[in-house]
Amino acid sequence: MDSISIKVLFFGKARDLVGVGQKDVDILHSNLKANEFLEIIISKFPRLEEIKSSTKLSLNEEYVEMNDVLSLKSGDEIAVIPPISGG
Amino acid sequence: MAHNLTNSEIERYSRQLIIPDYGIESQNKLKSSSILIIGCGGLGCPSALYLSTAGIGRLGLVDDDTIEISNIHRQIAHDENKIGISKAQNLADRCKALNSLVKYEVHNILFTKTTALNLIEQYPFLFLSIYCTDNVITRYLINDVCVLLGKPLVSGSALKFEGQLTVYNYLNGPCYRCLYPTAPPAHAVSNCSDAGILGPIVGMIGSLQALEAIKVVAEIGTCLNGRMMIFDGFDFLTRIIKLRPRQIETCLMCKSVLSRENLTKKDREEILENFDYIEFCGVSNYNDKSINISILSDKKRINCSDYKNFTESHLLIDVRPKCQFNICSLPNSLNIPFDDFVYNEEKVVENIRDKLGNEKSIFLVCRRGNDSQLAVEILEKHFNDKEIKDLIGGLQTWSKEIEPDFPKY
Repeated sequence: MDSISIKVLFFGKARDLVGVGQKDVDILHSNLKANEFLEIIISKFPRLEEIKSSTKLSLNEEYVEMNDVLSLKSGDEIAVIPPISGG
Repeated sequence: MAHNLTNSEIERYSRQLIIPDYGIESQNKLKSSSILIIGCGGLGCPSALYLSTAGIGRLGLVDDDTIEISNIHRQIAHDENKIGISKAQNLADRCKALNSLVKYEVHNILFTKTTALNLIEQYPFLFLSIYCTDNVITRYLINDVCVLLGKPLVSGSALKFEGQLTVYNYLNGPCYRCLYPTAPPAHAVSNCSDAGILGPIVGMIGSLQALEAIKVVAEIGTCLNGRMMIFDGFDFLTRIIKLRPRQIETCLMCKSVLSRENLTKKDREEILENFDYIEFCGVSNYNDKSINISILSDKKRINCSDYKNFTESHLLIDVRPKCQFNICSLPNSLNIPFDDFVYNEEKVVENIRDKLGNEKSIFLVCRRGNDSQLAVEILEKHFNDKEIKDLIGGLQTWSKEIEPDFPKY
């Protein structure tokens, strides 16, 4: 089966930990839970473990809960959005 | 239509009055509304200036801090001649110079559990708060008070090149706690003085907070409730993320408000009192100052004057990030950023073993003396025959006590 290419955006602390604002990530299955997707990115960028409990994910500009099953297709955009608090 | 604007107000506000979607009706609502701005810094300055010139009826300004020279690059209402002056007072003075028709109220207080409800209750006609604060406890606290009192909250935040903007607790949109039921771990949160912030970023987010506040008060347009704008100024990327609605089942605050009818003042106080913010957030301070920690015993630390008098040859390692090391450093110090200690421990140890030669002592220094202590703990495991100490108070103390010409940042 062909892999699916997802565009991942990193904001705030996630960007610091990964070192870049944007990466394409290939996944093998289109149906997986948001937290499983997060685990996949953490396995590629282990430093993201630090914000695992507090970050949010969005799929195509819509927030998803960690238990939601995502139905992903190539070209989808997932953003990793931890809260930022400067002012 | 009937309105309560004077001729001079009509002239003053004429350029906004003639916008068909705004009009005199909106101006009337603004004039009879109150807004409380919590935090008179990078976001609070542009928010307050624009709400003042737009003609809000009453503007409350909260901040317990005073102006420092390192604020001025972004806190656009404060100037060189006002160092040491109260931020809230100075912002009120600047706004008053722009529009004396507005009623200003200055609150030189820290926003804490004990002051929060009382302060907002002084505003019987309060429509919303804008918060512009650097601290996680304060963010949850302000959110909770707004939920308990049923006030919308225009929220902005900014760090480095990034900003976030939304309107919480408004028209079935979520509150901050609905969105982030778990506080981020303390070490994952940075403030402006540790991570940095660029002026135009807070300028933009703060101005947009004023815009959203005007729309909420005037009940016009489509606000950002239920959506969050995320702005990355570095790559110029904007995303408007759709949020889930209010989480009545799971959000602690929304649940406690909606499960009871007619909350009394005492109920609200009890709800706030019973919530342990310090435990929830894992931090102990309500302000946005960096904290100095002390984890090493005294014999593993050296103060600046003893270090100055230490004449034996040794290895000095500066564990600050490279961009800070490039600003200033002590002579003959070796830069190994603390991140490398955490993520590349083996490589760091190898590098230090290389550089160490026959030296008997390793000293570690950072900006404030926090990371340097953690670095001592890591190195102790690998170099048990060496004397390893951290420089108490870091380069900030060095600059204060030993070398006044050493740059402060």
